[in-house]
Amino acid sequence: MSHELHNPLHHPEVQLASTPRYVVGFLVSAALMALSFLIVRRGGLPALDAQVLIAAIALAAVLVQSYLLFHLNFSETQRWHTAAFVLTIPLFVLLVGLSMWMFHALAARTMIPGMH
Amino acid sequence: MSSHTGESVAAGTTVLWDEGHHGHDMISTRTFGFWLYMLSDAMIFAALFTAYAVLGHNYAGGPTAAQVLRPGDALVETMLVFTSVLAFGFAMSALKQGHRTGVLNWMTVAFVIGAAFVGMEVHEFANLASHGIVPERSGFLSAYYTIVLTHGLHMVFGLLWMAVMAVQVLRDGFTENVVYRLLNLKIFWHFQAIIWVCVFAFIYLQGSI
Repeated sequence: MSHELHNPLHHPEVQLASTPRYVVGFLVSAALMALSFLIVRRGGLPALDAQVLIAAIALAAVLVQSYLLFHLNFSETQRWHTAAFVLTIPLFVLLVGLSMWMFHALAARTMIPGMH
Repeated sequence: MSSHTGESVAAGTTVLWDEGHHGHDMISTRTFGFWLYMLSDAMIFAALFTAYAVLGHNYAGGPTAAQVLRPGDALVETMLVFTSVLAFGFAMSALKQGHRTGVLNWMTVAFVIGAAFVGMEVHEFANLASHGIVPERSGFLSAYYTIVLTHGLHMVFGLLWMAVMAVQVLRDGFTENVVYRLLNLKIFWHFQAIIWVCVFAFIYLQGSI
């Protein structure tokens, strides 16, 4: 396969491109966002239920895009991209979770108006 | 690779596809480095979302989220981002086939739709500012302006990058450098769709419940 080495278009990351994957990724993401828009527009759900539902739909859209658009999987080409992505998740949890915990604890102790 | 499936793999001697005389794969190295850069960019957005979560209800007597946010417009913006990303995906499919005009045409479509998104956003914020709804008015508005405009700035840089790549594709064709830059631009552009999902869901929709 040495003849392929000099043509960058034969690189596996170029060959990952897939029109059906992009179309399905677009349709599913668009449908999920339209669905969550309708949930908010229609109303009727308790606020907490609606918030959890919107967050869950957003998570689903992120996962769909990660898989279909970013090709994050365990193939030889992509496994380290996937590993870096997965190992970033605990960083998100620590950054967002600890900061919010800190600020809410601060608000509760200092009773700054409007931060409860 | 698939050609090795079923063959015995001898540790240390197995030849991967990318074993050129340089001993490493330049395209994979560059895209992986850029992917790590995008993940650290995601940490910036995580910090901004945290700031919004903390400050998002500090209206300081000013306009509330429900008064400022227009989720219907944001849904249109969502579809613009997704469509532009889809067009860029088609450009990558054209790249796979080696079709230079296909790459240029689909990248132009992605550019035009992306520019429409930026135009809508500029219009939205110019409208807010003209009503005195400015970032210094409240903690909520500071956080809202910062997070949405940071994403918007990413979109502007993506458009700029597309224009540069169109010139490079025309001038150089699909050389190794042009190909890895197109792959990185694809990562960058598709990444904006993931960030926008979070902006739409956690700011526009959550603020309108």
